[in-house]
Amino acid sequence: MIETEILVIGGGPAGLCAAVEAAEHGAKVLLLDDKDVLGGQLIKQTHRFFGSQQQYAGVRGIDIAGILIRNAEKFGVELMPGATVTAIYDDGVVLAAAADRTIKIRPEKMVVATGAYENTLAFPNCDLPGVYGAGAVQTLMNVNGVAPGERVLMVGAGNIGLIVTYQLLQAGIRVAAIVEAADKVGGYYVHANKIRRLGVPILLRHTVKYALGKDGVEGAVIVRLDDKFRPVTGTERALDVDTICLAVGLTPLTELLWNAGCEMKYVSQLGGHVAWHDEDMRTSRGDIYVAGDASGIEEASSAMIEGKVAGLNAAYMLKRDTGLTSEVREERLKNYHDQLYRLRRGPFGEKARVGKSVLTGAPMPAAGPIESTPHSDATFSKGARVVIECEQNIPCNPCEATCPHGAITVGDDIVNYPVLDPARCNACGICVVNCPGLALFVINRDYSETETEIMLPYEFLPLPNKGDRVDAFDRKGNFACRATVSRVIKSKKFDRTALVSLVVEDKYADVVRSFRVNGGQKTERTEKAAGDVPDDMDTVICVCEDVTRRQIEEAIDRDGARSIDEIKRLLRCGMGPCQGKTCQRLIMQILSRKLNRNIEEFKPQTYRGPMKPVPLGLLAKANNEEKD
Amino acid sequence: MKKKTDVVIIGGGVVGTSIAYNLAKNGVTDVVVVERDTLSCGSTGRCAGGVRQQWSEPSNVRLARASIDIFKRFREEMGRDIGLVEGGYLLCAHTDEEAERFKETVAMQREVGADVRIVTPEEMRDITPYLNADGMILGAYCPDDCHGDPFQTTQGYAENAKRLGVDIELHTEVTAIKKKGRRATAVVTNRGEIECNWVVNAAGGYSAEVGAMAGVDIPTKSYRHQIAVTEPIRRIQEPLIVDFCVNIYFCQTAHGSFLAGYGDDTEKPGHNVRSTWQFLQEISRRLTALVPALRDISVVRQWAGLYNMSPDAQPILGKVSDEVENFICAVGFSGHGFMLAPITGVLMAELITYGETRTLPIDGLSIKRFEGGVRSAEANVV
Repeated sequence: MIETEILVIGGGPAGLCAAVEAAEHGAKVLLLDDKDVLGGQLIKQTHRFFGSQQQYAGVRGIDIAGILIRNAEKFGVELMPGATVTAIYDDGVVLAAAADRTIKIRPEKMVVATGAYENTLAFPNCDLPGVYGAGAVQTLMNVNGVAPGERVLMVGAGNIGLIVTYQLLQAGIRVAAIVEAADKVGGYYVHANKIRRLGVPILLRHTVKYALGKDGVEGAVIVRLDDKFRPVTGTERALDVDTICLAVGLTPLTELLWNAGCEMKYVSQLGGHVAWHDEDMRTSRGDIYVAGDASGIEEASSAMIEGKVAGLNAAYMLKRDTGLTSEVREERLKNYHDQLYRLRRGPFGEKARVGKSVLTGAPMPAAGPIESTPHSDATFSKGARVVIECEQNIPCNPCEATCPHGAITVGDDIVNYPVLDPARCNACGICVVNCPGLALFVINRDYSETETEIMLPYEFLPLPNKGDRVDAFDRKGNFACRATVSRVIKSKKFDRTALVSLVVEDKYADVVRSFRVNGGQKTERTEKAAGDVPDDMDTVICVCEDVTRRQIEEAIDRDGARSIDEIKRLLRCGMGPCQGKTCQRLIMQILSRKLNRNIEEFKPQTYRGPMKPVPLGLLAKANNEEKD
Repeated sequence: MKKKTDVVIIGGGVVGTSIAYNLAKNGVTDVVVVERDTLSCGSTGRCAGGVRQQWSEPSNVRLARASIDIFKRFREEMGRDIGLVEGGYLLCAHTDEEAERFKETVAMQREVGADVRIVTPEEMRDITPYLNADGMILGAYCPDDCHGDPFQTTQGYAENAKRLGVDIELHTEVTAIKKKGRRATAVVTNRGEIECNWVVNAAGGYSAEVGAMAGVDIPTKSYRHQIAVTEPIRRIQEPLIVDFCVNIYFCQTAHGSFLAGYGDDTEKPGHNVRSTWQFLQEISRRLTALVPALRDISVVRQWAGLYNMSPDAQPILGKVSDEVENFICAVGFSGHGFMLAPITGVLMAELITYGETRTLPIDGLSIKRFEGGVRSAEANVV
């Protein structure tokens, strides 16, 4: 039995920050993570992060993980990767399983920062190999170095879908299209623009209807949706892909919190059921704190701050006096809440802002006035300077922070648009490299009498050479003209983002925004025959136990099941190793539709430990050792 | 919900639904089953589903034998597959004393008509090759015994009862029982009152609480029993195995998963159905000691349910006419409610329909037997 003051469950941004914060204030902290490598989703994130410097804006996710881990080591956090917490028992004992042993921990306080799991979509043949969650695709590519396929259909144009599409392209994998059921891109437009100009079409009001193939995905049939999200017959189109990647949202991973008896509440803005918590991130079970996506789906930047709040409060509430005074606590909390407020101020923070207020019943903090017009100005006719194509109130300011000449201003309110002072800009390109949205370009109108030089951020290999002739494309990925590479700047300081300058005729100065060295992504979509239309009633909803939509609808219609637990007892769905993580949301949707009731009226199935399968031999060994 | 009915059955577990179905089959269709949550959410849904005849008390053997016949006909009669694994029961003896006791009970069981026999450790290995029979002296094997799925069984009873006209009211919690003299007149629930001629207590782990509502002192107590279940694997074990010495029972379900549990003697009575890590570790040790091949197989869940224990570990069946003449008990199954539910349904339905049981006598199982203390208790409880 390991005795510790604070146990942090989850080694992602929230958990690591919670652990560091608590340890910094003198608490004895143990952190467990189910993966062998700490960092959570950060280790798959190859893009630069948004936010402000306090949340490591401009640094790539994978490098933030490294910084946080080093901090944890510095403050003496005991790190235990590769250990999955399987249950929190009533006597306060937490059981975890590692590859070769089980571990029992008796903490005084806990921070549950278990993150989220991916939502899935049910469509005919969705159980074929080749249908992945976006997280799995990232793990395959960025952790294991394995290409998931050759031709991908991405489902979902939120930030994850957009970012993973970009990563797929970087890995040399073709993305046939992104389909998005909504009528607008849900993620940052700057992310969408990055892939549009590389020739990936984003088809709004479209979804995947079914997958083609027998032993694996051989194609995907997509369909247009009307404004009530109903498929429009006759608009089906088969795409020749071998991979379907689902990026359709996240649900907080709260099974341990249910299991521990925390009061839970369904808040749609937070992604589903979350543990009730106060501003201190404390749940109804006073010894358990939450942070990050487990407490409501948001960005890594706010997860880190929530982690700090949870860690600080858990440390402060310890029985032992760790030397953390109430003054220090209050000062820090004020700072952290201020950071959270700033991050959540813009349109992208609205869900969290509303959700947290619905959860606690506390009044929603006023968003305050936000600038509504971008300051982009590309109309200058002489000289060289940066052009800002940042068109949303994203909480982000690396352009301001990295400009050596103070030419860009965002201000304290980081959701503001950047404002350029042309007099101070010397077209150095530092901001171009550091913009996480790759939304800045340097335009030099004086390159020659008839030509303009455009400096672009470039994150693909191989890099072109000076003097190369390349195909240049517009913002939508359409061919614009041929261009000559005039400069290629690589620097360690640029951290793998190169600056490539193209020379084009003047008339293309405001048109060209990307190029390809040799082929790369082709714009044409290869289409194929649609094949026989599979019956949606045969769609597998519970993959662990192979339960179809037909069986679930029969359990409701014929057997009178009215809850997840009743369906589970009749059909075993949710009894498999994933304990319903995949199918539960889908079954709730079916129940909600068939019974015409709101989705929040349905309670998830009863969660029972162990949350992940644990070999009998490991558990037996632990018992024998205790007896010896 | 009806305001007036002939029979109100309290409890939507396998016992309550079995009684309801059998009543309807007898033509008594004006029946309401009230269940405070959902079907089989209590002890029924938490049990391992074993069905055996190997008991130390002859009356238990007779009840179980009659139940097994019904289980084996269930699919045909009710039109629902209950995942019955007809793999028998194998009881393991480790000591000479236990071996002697096995021989005696097997003789009794055979006399009552059960196809039970004593087997050597070699024969035990033939029956179930993955069993580590080291240190075992002999076994008692009944190939007729079986195990099945409690959810499907309850659902089968419930849907057939409904088909015949029975009302099943879920999310309906009984809060009181109204009486007039020595008769129960109505059952009060959170959704209203139901006037009735008969009240049947099939409340499982809460039998004593429901008894108290009618002013009947039922000498049952509930004890937590825990179970763990593994991921499914290919079929390697047919019988449900019971080892009293190690204190464990385990079986491989039709689905392929292993279910294993034991009763903890140190448990205090109560209604706690939360799980413990101590059980998880201990059951893993016991199970892998007996079937070492399972070492690398993973536990996927653990849970707990209640054994509603009577003083002699045998059910309390029938009227309690001294206190309330129209109050029928089908309680105190002491961990064996699932396996006895089919015959209990038949007998309780006969009692209400005809005023007496016809298939088997139940005089010895009346609540009155405890007047003057426990005479002979069932020993084969695990």
